[in-house]
Amino acid sequence: MRLWLAVFLARAAGWASRVLGHGGSSLPGAVARAIAPSVLQELGRRLPSGAVLVTGTNGKTTTAALAEHLMRRGGRAVLRNQTGANLVLGLTAALIQATGWRLLPRADLALLETDEASVPRAAAELRPRGIVVTNFFRDQLDRYGELTHAVRLVARGLEALDPDGRAILNADDPNVARLGEPLRSEQVVFYGMVAGWGDPEDSPGDVRHCPLCGAELLYRRRFYAHLGEYRCTGCGWQRPPLTVAVEEMDLVHRRVKVRFGDVAAWVPAVLPGTYNLYNQLAAMAWAWSWGMAPDALGEALNDFRPAFGRMERTAVRGREVWFALVKNPTGFNQVLATLAAEPQAAVGLVAINDDYADGRDVSWLWDVDFERWLPRVAVRQWWVSGRRALDMAVRLKYAGVAAEALTIEEDLARALEGAVDSAAGRVYVLPTYTAMLALRRHLTKQGAVRHFRQG
Amino acid sequence: MTRTLTLGHLYPDHMNLYGDRGNVIALVRRAQWRGIDLRVIAIDVGQPVAFDQLDLLFMGGGEDRDQARVAKDFLERGLVLRPYLEAGLPMLAVCGAYQLLGAYYVTADGQRLPGLGFLPVHTVAGARRSIGNVVAEIRPHAEWPPGLAGSTLVGFENHAGQTFLEPGALPLAHVLTGSGNNGQDGTEGAVRQHVIGTYLHGSLLPKNPHLADCLLAWAAARKGWQLDSALDDRLEWSAHRALLRRFHKRGLGGRHP
Repeated sequence: MRLWLAVFLARAAGWASRVLGHGGSSLPGAVARAIAPSVLQELGRRLPSGAVLVTGTNGKTTTAALAEHLMRRGGRAVLRNQTGANLVLGLTAALIQATGWRLLPRADLALLETDEASVPRAAAELRPRGIVVTNFFRDQLDRYGELTHAVRLVARGLEALDPDGRAILNADDPNVARLGEPLRSEQVVFYGMVAGWGDPEDSPGDVRHCPLCGAELLYRRRFYAHLGEYRCTGCGWQRPPLTVAVEEMDLVHRRVKVRFGDVAAWVPAVLPGTYNLYNQLAAMAWAWSWGMAPDALGEALNDFRPAFGRMERTAVRGREVWFALVKNPTGFNQVLATLAAEPQAAVGLVAINDDYADGRDVSWLWDVDFERWLPRVAVRQWWVSGRRALDMAVRLKYAGVAAEALTIEEDLARALEGAVDSAAGRVYVLPTYTAMLALRRHLTKQGAVRHFRQG
Repeated sequence: MTRTLTLGHLYPDHMNLYGDRGNVIALVRRAQWRGIDLRVIAIDVGQPVAFDQLDLLFMGGGEDRDQARVAKDFLERGLVLRPYLEAGLPMLAVCGAYQLLGAYYVTADGQRLPGLGFLPVHTVAGARRSIGNVVAEIRPHAEWPPGLAGSTLVGFENHAGQTFLEPGALPLAHVLTGSGNNGQDGTEGAVRQHVIGTYLHGSLLPKNPHLADCLLAWAAARKGWQLDSALDDRLEWSAHRALLRRFHKRGLGGRHP
């Protein structure tokens, strides 16, 4: 009865909040947990195939979206939390949303993008059947303090993995790979790359030392930042053997040959950039471990559409507008690297907010390698916007952007309109998280973006 | 003939948290805009350094693990480095580097780790982190260029260590918003000779161009040069003042030299 009341009142609160025009993505979770603190655990237990958590610094949303797409094509009813509502309250709200009046779930399994800090609690309550870990980069350090802290949080979550569950781990990231050390080998699926678009100029970024003994890591190949094939010069620990691996690339047809166990298949590379290939690999590794055949995976990927803001392309008044979320140096560098491959002249708009979800500290903008990438990106006019527009303007000035090539407009909607109107060709919009939400509200009002709630 | 200055960037691979390399970018650009070629030399663990070839030093903060690794190397250089700092070699030390310039650091489990002892401060590991935007007012120091004392600094702090000034120490600034050194005495950072220790990220120098120029002027003076003052800093000061307005409600004028 208490559980029923919790679900009922939470849904009423969510409904009222939406009617009043608030997003209300975590309010139902707060209401339900106040009434029945074990609500997440109890609703999770009712899911026939249980819950899967997707965590890591970058690529959670894209990975979860790809995994959902694969499962749907495989005929499963999947529930997901709303993009960004990835703390315990958001997860709770997602399960409530998918629960009917008789407290029966309307889904077979829950695919939950989960913030690193929420992983221990979410895992303890949900006993997940799967935990997918994408990567660890320095991100929003004002929230977690340090990188190693995030790694510890996810390690604690893995202790609560269902005994028959699987950890899907990025073997190419030493800090993710180490999470597999205490697990039994049949519990882990390691994914990674044997062939890739390696970038020799790319700096190794955050991790240079063995997570086990602290000695220097030696890379035989790096695909981006600190992701690659490595070996410790001290204790000899090395990248674990790959269960799911990219073995060949076909740049002309944008497809990759992936080995799943001992079966290989060509599958389309559905999104631009190496970082997205890793996300795709994570989703495929998980779907495969769940019983989907390699051929079926490739087939299902053919009609995938990316989530809003993850290098999505849309049209505004006849201009092609590309959106790519930026939230940390590595992600921003990868976006710039992807844009550098586009020769068409374009107008750029960088929108930086500093709300909690964006990270309050904008120091990270100085770790983005604008000095290296801006000369290669075909943007001649830059707009900066958001609450930290001036910080971004100063950053671009010091990266060599002339005052004439820089327009400051703190108001997000006006900046977007201005950038679109001034563009002859494309517009690249690079917002932080809350700036992206605001821009998408604006575009929805204009009717330019449809269906993003499902995105 | 182009004028050249050389900046030693200590441990850029290990002590690189929170965008502190923005400080180096700011110094390089502001020198370049004045026709000075500021060369940057990366100094890594174990690498030999000729301190007499350097005009300026910078060191940032790192994660605990990285910091332990560089601490040993840095302290081993202490005997050689100290006389240069005493003689006026300018240095900016942020966060972990600031702590290492102090007398000692007491870890959470009570261990007392020695520092270089150039700045008369010591640090104690705190139970909770001080995180947030900071607005502070620069305190007087005999070595400041005219107008610097009394002007404002804006930045972002993120530190678990609490730093305390010992008798005779000069704070860099007085905190108007934020915690500063220890959240108790209202001080932020410390300064001695031409060495500035601070907890401020942001990055610090791009949005505080007066402090960047102070370091450059000190470095130039060692060569017997004057720093031409006039740069167009309207953008930098708009960013600075926007942060003052937002994070210091009592409405400072944003006085700057």
